[in-house]
Amino acid sequence: MELNKQSINRDEVIIVAEHLVKTFPGPVLALDDFSIRVKRGEVLVVIGPSGSGKSTLLRCLNGLEAIDSGTIVIDAIPLDHHESNRLAIRREVGMVFQSFNLFPHLSVLENINLAQCLVRKKSKPEATRTTRELLAKVGLGEKIDSYPDELSGGQQQRVAIARALALRPKVMLFDEATSALDPEMIGEVLEVMRTLAEEGMTMVVVTHEMGFAREVSDRVVLMEAGRLVEEGATEQFFLQPVQERTREFLRQIL
Amino acid sequence: MRTRSAVFIQIRDLLGFGLTIAAAVLLILRGSEQLGYNWHWRQVPRYFYTLIDGQFLPGPLLKGLALTLEITAISLVLAGVLGLMTALLRLSSSLIGRGLARFYLESIRNTPLLVQLFFLYFVMAPIFDIGRTATAVLALSLFEGAYASEIFRAGIESIGRGQWEACHSLGLSRAQTYGRVILPQALRRILPPLTSQAVSLIKDSALVSTIAVYDLTMEGRTIIAETFLTFEIWLVVAALYLGLTLTLSVLANGLERRYPRIA
Repeated sequence: MELNKQSINRDEVIIVAEHLVKTFPGPVLALDDFSIRVKRGEVLVVIGPSGSGKSTLLRCLNGLEAIDSGTIVIDAIPLDHHESNRLAIRREVGMVFQSFNLFPHLSVLENINLAQCLVRKKSKPEATRTTRELLAKVGLGEKIDSYPDELSGGQQQRVAIARALALRPKVMLFDEATSALDPEMIGEVLEVMRTLAEEGMTMVVVTHEMGFAREVSDRVVLMEAGRLVEEGATEQFFLQPVQERTREFLRQIL
Repeated sequence: MRTRSAVFIQIRDLLGFGLTIAAAVLLILRGSEQLGYNWHWRQVPRYFYTLIDGQFLPGPLLKGLALTLEITAISLVLAGVLGLMTALLRLSSSLIGRGLARFYLESIRNTPLLVQLFFLYFVMAPIFDIGRTATAVLALSLFEGAYASEIFRAGIESIGRGQWEACHSLGLSRAQTYGRVILPQALRRILPPLTSQAVSLIKDSALVSTIAVYDLTMEGRTIIAETFLTFEIWLVVAALYLGLTLTLSVLANGLERRYPRIA
C-alpha cells in the first residue's frame, strides 16, 4: 500500500463517534451512549463478552445499521441522512465479515474487480492490475481464477480482505474475521491483518484473539452491555487494567 | 449379488411397465372398435402441410402451432418482466409499491384464468380497443406474471443477508447489488420452478381458444368439427404440446448445467 507509517500524522482523528444509541426490537439496548475516537493509522481492538455490542458498533460505523441517536463522522464526512455522505463512507470504510461473504457466483478476480469497476469506475485492465497486486499481497496470486467454493476458509477470508482493500479504504473494520475459521487457518489471516497494521492502515478490530490484540493493536476497548467499560493503550490495558470488570474479563479469556 | 438383484428389479419393472402400456393401448383400441370408430391416420398429414406444385403450404395444425409458440413466447418474456418487477416492488421500501404489487398478486391468484380472459376480452378489449391475440397475450402474461413474481421473490429472499452486507460495505448501489450479485444467484436457484411455470404457461395458453384465437387447440377443434377425426387430431394436438413443453425442459436443463456454480 502507498500508506507509510512515518508520513502519518498520528494525532489526526479519523473516526469520531459520539453518544451512539442503538436499540434492536425486543427491546435490546445494543449501544448505550457509546463514544469512541480513532486516530489515523491507529489499530483499535474492541473486546467484550458476546452480546456486548461490539459487532453492532462496527456495523453502525459503516452505516450497515442505522443509529437511533448520536453522531458518527469518518474522515470529516458525517454519516447523516444525506445519501451522498452515506455512500462516501461506505466507500471509504472497508469491512471484513466473520462469514467472508464472498460472491459465490464470481471468480476471485471478479469478486475483487466488481466494486473497483462499478464504484471506482476503473477500467477492467486497470482493476485487474490492482487485483493481482492485492492477491499477491495476501499470498493468493495463483488463485485468481478460482471460485470461492474451491478455497479454504482462510483463503476465502484473505480474498475478502483483498476485496475490501481494492477500494483503497481509509479505514478497515474487522468483525470477528477469524471466528469462523479452523484453528490452523487463523494464523494466515492474522498475518495479513498484521501486515496491514504495519503499513499504517487505520483498523477497528473486533476479535477474540488476545495474542493478536496484544501484539498488533495500539489501543484496546472493553465493551459490555453497549457501554464502554475501559479503554487504554494496549500494554497498559493488559498489564494494569483499572476496572475490576476488565480484570475479571481478562482472567476469563487469557 | 446386490447388482444382480438390482438388474433383476430393473428388468421386472420394465416388463411390468411395458405390459401395462400394452394393455392400455389394447383397451383403447378395443374400446374405439366397439364405438365403431374408424381410424384415418392417413388424412392427418395434410392438416400439417400440403405440397402443391412442389410448394410448401402450412396447414392449420402448423399455423396453430406457430401462433401458440408466438403467444407463449411473448407472454413468457412479458410474464418474466412483470414477475420480476412485481417481486422488486414487493421487496421495496415503498408502501404504495408494496400495496400495488400485493393487490395485483391477490386479484390474479384468486380468480380463475378463464374469467380473467373473458373479463379482458369482453370488458377491457372493447374499451381500449385491443385485438384478440393481444388480449390473449395480456391475459397470459398477467396471470403467469403473478406466479412468477412469487418465485422471483422467494429466490431473492433466499440469498443470504451477508451478500447484501458485502455489497453495502463495498459501496454498491441497490441497483448494482441486485443486478450483479443478488439476481444472478437468485435466477440460478429459481430456474427449476421458473421452468415449470413456463410449462404451465404453454399449457394454459390452450384457454385462449375460448376467445376465438386460432391457436393449436382452436385449430384442432375446427378440424374436428369439419372432419370428425376426433381421436387422431386430439392425440396429435396433445403430442404437439408435449413436444413443446419437453423441448423447453431440455433447454432449461441445459442452462442449469451451463451454470452449475452455487447450490
